[in-house]
Amino acid sequence: MHELSLAHDMTRIIGKTLGRKIPLDRVNITVGPLSGISPESLKFCFTEIAKLEGFGEPELVIRQTEARIICLDCNTEYEARDFYQGCPQCGSISRNILSGREFTVDSVEINEGDN
Amino acid sequence: MCDDTIDKTVDISTPVMSRNDSFAALNRKLLTEKNLYTLNLISSPGAGKTTLLESMARFFGSRMAVIEGDVQTRRDAERIEKAGCQAWQIETGGACHLDAQAVNHALGHMNLNSEGLELLAIENVGNLICPSGYDLGEDMRIGLLSVPEGDDKILKYPSLFSSINVLLINKMDLIPHLDFNVDRAIEECRSLKPDVQVFTVSARTGEGIEEFCEFIESGMSDQEP
Repeated sequence: MHELSLAHDMTRIIGKTLGRKIPLDRVNITVGPLSGISPESLKFCFTEIAKLEGFGEPELVIRQTEARIICLDCNTEYEARDFYQGCPQCGSISRNILSGREFTVDSVEINEGDN
Repeated sequence: MCDDTIDKTVDISTPVMSRNDSFAALNRKLLTEKNLYTLNLISSPGAGKTTLLESMARFFGSRMAVIEGDVQTRRDAERIEKAGCQAWQIETGGACHLDAQAVNHALGHMNLNSEGLELLAIENVGNLICPSGYDLGEDMRIGLLSVPEGDDKILKYPSLFSSINVLLINKMDLIPHLDFNVDRAIEECRSLKPDVQVFTVSARTGEGIEEFCEFIESGMSDQEP
């Protein structure tokens, strides 16, 4: 996807909440498996952008969730790691996606002693 | 916001797309006020988005306005203007998708009070990946797949094809020369989006365009207050 512009959006959100730019130790985010985001690519982009934007070289910790899906053929609710996993009960891939597209900045960790 | 303690965690809890989503909400409010039904047209480069819009311009005339998204040049906007519709070109200058803020900016430059205007078509940057993550404030998201691209593309780009309301299979005039299996494409799209509406068209010959435009009209009249 467009991980470079997403990395920019992340630093903007962090800067706005903190009210200032300081080196960070760690940035915790959540990425859903249906969000279309490549964690490796995001890590690469975020490392560069965070440095450029004055947030130092924080470790990017990505919590990857599972998608919640409901089968339209047998009503089983199940978890999936991608778009291709069918219903574990009946094998159908006809479904409604309940969650899995999430992408949030959860928290940042600051070691004030470093600064 | 920060006091001077050591080793602390600051809660952020913010969706990364929240800024785009608030601009999308702003667009949706403005477009509803102006009574404009809005389409977001997404496909790979060369699938026929602009040719489709030219054929739609023949059907809708001045009832339709178009926002064109391209990395560079005003070429597409010029084609749409020639076909008889108001057009605004967004040049993203490298970005691979339109976002709601860019559309909001474009709306500020357009004449949304133009006599008889009731439909806005947004042609996204040609790309099957990035545009799918950005809500622009549209009423209908259309995925356009042209038959030379192959019938296996839908499952390869699930984040787009699971988010569309309408699948348009374009360049149907080329079907006799290709191995594209229309039934396979439709079945795979329904597996990602069970209630997707499907139309097979040729923007070049006009095949299926009237039926598709009438479907858009029914969406427009459903939305009228």
